[in-house]
Amino acid sequence: MRQHARLRLIVIYVSAAVLMIGTVGPFLWLVSSSFQYERQLLSRPPQWLPNPIVLDSYREIFEGALLGEDSGVPYQSRIFLRSFANSFFVAGSVAAVAVIAGAYAAYPLARLDFRGRSTLLFGILASRLIPGLSLAIPIVLVARQIGMSDRIVTLVFINLSFILPYVIWLLQSYFKTIPMELEDAGRIDGCSRLQVVNRIILPLALPGLTSAAILAFMLSWGEFLFALLLAETPASYTSTVIVSLFATDVDVNYVSIITAGVISVIPPICFALVFQRFIISGLLSGSLKG
Amino acid sequence: MQANAARPRKEMSQGLLAVFFSAPAVLIIAASILVPFCIAVYLSLHRWNLKRPGREKFIGLENYIDWLGDSDFWEPLQTTFTFAIGSVAVILVVSLLIALLLNEKFPGRGVLRALLLIPWAIPSVVNALLWKWLLNPQYGLVNAVAYELGIITEYQNVLGSMPSVMIWLVIAYSWIHIPLATLLLLSGLQTIPGDIYESAIVDGAGLWQRFAYITFPLLRPMLSIVIIFEMIFALKVFDIIFVLTAGGPADATNVLGWQIYTETFRKLDFGAGSSIAMLLGAITLALAIIFYVFLDRGARPE
Repeated sequence: MRQHARLRLIVIYVSAAVLMIGTVGPFLWLVSSSFQYERQLLSRPPQWLPNPIVLDSYREIFEGALLGEDSGVPYQSRIFLRSFANSFFVAGSVAAVAVIAGAYAAYPLARLDFRGRSTLLFGILASRLIPGLSLAIPIVLVARQIGMSDRIVTLVFINLSFILPYVIWLLQSYFKTIPMELEDAGRIDGCSRLQVVNRIILPLALPGLTSAAILAFMLSWGEFLFALLLAETPASYTSTVIVSLFATDVDVNYVSIITAGVISVIPPICFALVFQRFIISGLLSGSLKG
Repeated sequence: MQANAARPRKEMSQGLLAVFFSAPAVLIIAASILVPFCIAVYLSLHRWNLKRPGREKFIGLENYIDWLGDSDFWEPLQTTFTFAIGSVAVILVVSLLIALLLNEKFPGRGVLRALLLIPWAIPSVVNALLWKWLLNPQYGLVNAVAYELGIITEYQNVLGSMPSVMIWLVIAYSWIHIPLATLLLLSGLQTIPGDIYESAIVDGAGLWQRFAYITFPLLRPMLSIVIIFEMIFALKVFDIIFVLTAGGPADATNVLGWQIYTETFRKLDFGAGSSIAMLLGAITLALAIIFYVFLDRGARPE
């Protein structure tokens, strides 16, 4: 039996090691590459760890943003920080609005008894089945006609509509876990429905709201299709658009491309590691409970 | 079901309250999903090319009929299915294995589960860039490792030929999709009560028998969910194609998502683009329903 237990541990740790390499290996290689000189990067066999640690490509991005054309760095590097800020604006606004609007929409679905409740829930969820590509065509056409393309506000709006159904689903299942008695107590004390939501449900649902906000932020941070199609000038590029421009441009040196990739995943990866509990519970409750 | 007992003063009916509470969210969704969807249907029934303004014309189902008789629809469709089936299979098998591993109790399990979120957090475009670098024909890490281990004698351009380009596309795509599938399957595994396994062990069931007669049947509802989700995602793949292959080499990775993009935003034929996008939507919906009915019925205990 003891031999069996030892064999079990060996199998587990060997697979765990393989999993670990497969999970973080590719990403660590990207990070390691971003700290190297171009010529080290192009050596065979590859240099696994940066030696010395080179920060040139990071400095270029900051210099480019500050000095503009005078810095002599490639165009994509110069506008990178701006696009990074745009991404923050888009993802932050989407998270804030999605959670607020989503919470009020989720409450009746979780707690009120009205005709058409299941139809409303189904309709909200079914809207996610329509592929973004088929919506992209009319959205771009209309946005151009009413002068709303090339603005990041439009991007916030579009992202919201894709993220709201998800947030509503997650929050309504979270609200259902809040004991009814607490709400009834508030009602007896004379609270209106709005007061019940604002003073009882929302404070109690804080963990659920946090999960929803983080997921909304991360999903809109990574959005690419609409960011690409609605952007016409660099002023409205998001970081995913810049990364795609970098990646498909053969003239830019490898280190700059890689550095742009690394910087643009810093926010989502920090979020993922710091808020892992919220994220995992959000992901699971969003798709599990009915 | 809902308590009406506590109603201290007269207020709006629950239906009206629901309307007020959900109005902002519903309006946003309607304005940017429902309305565009109707416009997309309208466009798909018209000849509508931005390169030839002023010649828009209602043509009924002609766009659809044209596509159905065109290899530019059937070939990308086949490529899409190859990609989607490959990806769903890879995601399912790998995430099931990882979930089984993480379902075991051992020190360090929590760390592994947290690290899984790293690939999940990486945006698809950055993921494409990462793999473009890993697979670089002159300096890529994959080439370097295979070369140093003696698997290949010279560096390969895997994105330049079939079938390697499809294989690596599937791997790169699956890499960021495996974590979520794993977490879902893991949560499914954790709902299986441990004493079922204990009594099975008492009855002399081996590892494989426990998997085949307990784990697999009880996990089946969650497996269905993962299959349906991943299928829907994979059928509309676009981001990674844009960065990694641009549909190439020679249309080898020209999936429907890419075909719609080039038709609409490069050739500027919005009518034809809308109709092929509708076809993709219809195929996705039909498959989702078929899978749902088929898998759900199979999963339900007798």
